[in-house]
Parts: sequence; C-alpha cells; structure tokens
Amino acid sequence: MKRFSTLIWLENRRNWIWSLPLMGSLLFWAWGIKQVTVMSVEERLGIRAGLLVAAATIGAVVLCMMIGRIRSETRKGQYQVLLMSPPSGYTHILSRFTYAAGVAFAFYIAIGFMFWWIFALAGISFDARSLFELILAVPFYGMSVTTLPLLAYTLLLMVFVSAYRLSGPGWVPGVVMLLGTPIAMQWVGEWIVRISYTLPGWRLFSTAPAALVERFGELDPETAMDINTALNQGVPVEPMLVMLVVTAVLLLLAGRIWQEVEA
Amino acid sequence: MLARLENVTKRYIKNEGLRDLTLDFPAGEVVGVLGLNGSGKSTLLKLLAGLLFPTAGHITVFDGPPRRSRAKMVFLGENDTLWPWMTPADAERFMRNLYADFDATRFRDLLEALKVPRRKTKTMSRGERGRLRLAMALARNAKLYLLDEPLAGIDLISREKILSQIVQEWHTDETILLSTHEVAEAEGLFERVVYLREGRLALDVSAESLREGGKSVVDTFREVLA
Repeated sequence: MKRFSTLIWLENRRNWIWSLPLMGSLLFWAWGIKQVTVMSVEERLGIRAGLLVAAATIGAVVLCMMIGRIRSETRKGQYQVLLMSPPSGYTHILSRFTYAAGVAFAFYIAIGFMFWWIFALAGISFDARSLFELILAVPFYGMSVTTLPLLAYTLLLMVFVSAYRLSGPGWVPGVVMLLGTPIAMQWVGEWIVRISYTLPGWRLFSTAPAALVERFGELDPETAMDINTALNQGVPVEPMLVMLVVTAVLLLLAGRIWQEVEA
Repeated sequence: MLARLENVTKRYIKNEGLRDLTLDFPAGEVVGVLGLNGSGKSTLLKLLAGLLFPTAGHITVFDGPPRRSRAKMVFLGENDTLWPWMTPADAERFMRNLYADFDATRFRDLLEALKVPRRKTKTMSRGERGRLRLAMALARNAKLYLLDEPLAGIDLISREKILSQIVQEWHTDETILLSTHEVAEAEGLFERVVYLREGRLALDVSAESLREGGKSVVDTFREVLA
C-alpha cells in the first residue's frame, strides 16, 4: 500500500485548481515588471523588486487559503472520509503540508528566477554561484522563516477549529489560542533576535560585489565597506533553524488534534 | 462482543443526541437502527465510528476506542461525501492504496452489478453516487459496517439494487448496522431491530421474535414510535 503517495495524489487532485493559477500568476507579475520602464535604473530595480516581494507575499496567502479549506470539507462530509481512513492524523497532516510546501518551493524558485531577470534587466549579471543562491538558497531560507511556519500554523488553526468548534463550547481554548498566537510570535521573535549570530552566519552572494562593480563601476568606499561587512557576516541561520523547529512542533500538534476532530 | 456502548450520552450545543444508551453488538448480526428524524440514529452510528465522542459513558469497538479500529470498520455516512472530480477508477485507487482489506476485483464486480457509470461523480445522479459509495464500502472485507441512510434520496430501482447487494455481500461473521427510513423495503434484511426515540432506546428486539408474535418491523415501528 502506498498511503502517503496516495494522500499526496489526493492533495494534488483537490488543489491543482489553486496551484496552477498560483504559478500562472507569475505571468501577471512578469507583465507588471515589464511595465515599469520609467525613472533611473536603480529606481526601476527597486520598484520591480517591490513587485516581486508583493508576489511572494500574495503567494503565501493563496497557499494558506489552499491548505486551510478544512471547514468546507467538513460541511461537504469529505472530512469524514479522511478521518475514517487508516492513515494516522500525522500522515494526513504531513501529506497536506508536503504538497503545499512543494508548490510553495516551485513558486518561490520561480520568483528567484524573476529576481535574476530583473537584475539582468538592470544590467547586473550574476555568476553561477550567486545565481544558484538566488534561485535555491534564498527561496529555501525565506520559506523556512516565513511560509513553512505559516502553512503549519494554518493547518493547526483549521484542525483546531474543526475539533473544538470555536463558536460552541470550544470558545475558551479558541480564545486562548487566538490571543496566545501574537504573544507567542513576539516571544519567539525576541528570542530569535537574542540568539542570532550565535552560530556562524550563512554567507550568501559573497561574489555579488563583482557584478555590482562591473555594472556601476567602483562603489564609493563607505558603500563598498557596508556591503562587504554585510556579506561577510552572512544571514543568521538561527531564525531558519528555530522556525523549522516551530513548523515541526505545529505539525505535530495538528496531527495530534486530528485524532480529536469530530465530523 | 464486537461493539459495546455503556451508558452513553451525547450532548450537542443546543440539544441531546443520545441519552444513557447501553447496547451490545455481537459479531454476525444485521441490525436495523430505526427511529424518526432526530431520534439519534446518525449519532449512534457516528459514535461507533469514532466520528463523535461521547459526552458521558464508554464505547468500545474491537476491544478499544472506536477511532483506533477505523481500519477494521466501514462507515457510510448520510452525506454525499465523494469529491466531484472522482471517477470510479479514482475511487478504486483511493481505496486500494489506503485500505488493506479492499478487494479491487469485488469492487469492479459491484460497479457492474450496481450499474455505476464510469464517469466523474459530478456528472452522476444522486442514485449513481450512492451506488458508487456503496460499492466502495462493500468491496472491503471489514467486520463492522455502519451504514447510515444509504437509501436516502435514491430512486426505487437503485434502492432495490443496493439492498440486494447488501444481502449478497453479507458474510456470517460480519456485523451490519443499517439506519434507514425505508423500513418496509429493508425489513427483510434485519435480524435485530433497535428502535430509538428522542435519543433513548425505545425497543431492542430480534426480528424473529416480532414475526413469531405476528408483527412486522413496520408495525412495531408505528406502535413504538408513533
């Protein structure tokens, strides 16, 4: 029996209608980027990068909407079928998360390619290593810190609502969870800031200054020093590690609560 | 004992689904669960399936909590639970890969016998979808079948096909709990009948003893629940 792969197949059949338009929306963003033709090279680059950050944010929201449709499944009774199936709650939750994370990774790799494209439009050509970091390492880092915990939290929230009916007797744990979330986020955020750079930073784009020099000529000494300092320090790995652990904990909780869901 | 409820009460937010119900279900019985709307039939079957948890009392199925035994039981809910994109081939793939006791050959035979069309469920009639769901359920070699209103909203011909398939597919070591409003059509199936009224047990009787007393399941239904 291939339970996990079957659940992934089921996820794909249920959700392709969300994931394909998400990928298709990249064409819209590419069109938007092409429309930015005025102003200086630096301003164009800034606006285009802003558009891609917006695309990445909206993509995360769409992914959360895709993964969080448990209530409508409950109303239609399809949730009953899944609750009664032999795979454990953990397997069900993991399959949903794996599918959404796969779609997210494909989406953010495409966003990474679009960043490479807007740099190319600005006349900045990265070497192979920087390109690799732009289309794989940065999306992985960004997803680990933001999208993956967000997807796991969405799953936990929806399973929690299905299990404890926030409008009914479950309003006490519901209120505790909803009020506790921002407090927990603030606490985790402060803790991450406190422990950041305990481990050596992850050095990304260490060869990028050469591309900037090639495009814009020699940088002024102060800017060059700032860039070199930032690149030598690298990005902190602690936020990524902490948020990956948070993601795993949220998924474990969601899998456990799956066993308590009524339908 | 295959399944046991001891002093089970299930309260919802605004009403009570079942109250202080004690019942035993041994292996190898076909039990009719009968009652008017809101009498607690669906609540009883969902509690046995582990889809609901009792507010008070204790339920064991296969000597453990119901949800833990879900691989050994079939629950066919009253809702139309199939995904609209699903074809019978998709249903076979889903069932074959998730349930160790699913018999694909039997499933295809059931599709033929129940005349289920090979197209997406969103283009099927309610009766066709009901027959597909029944084929998915009966193609498993489970020991406990919880069938909640499998005949609801289905035309007469389909109802007859479904009932005859239930009779044909039943093995003596399997227990079937069937709730239905089509009491007259299904009464020939039942060995035992549990009548529920407003969440309480009104009567638990063997069909044979009813017949020996010159009564039918339908007559008793009117007598007990009217």
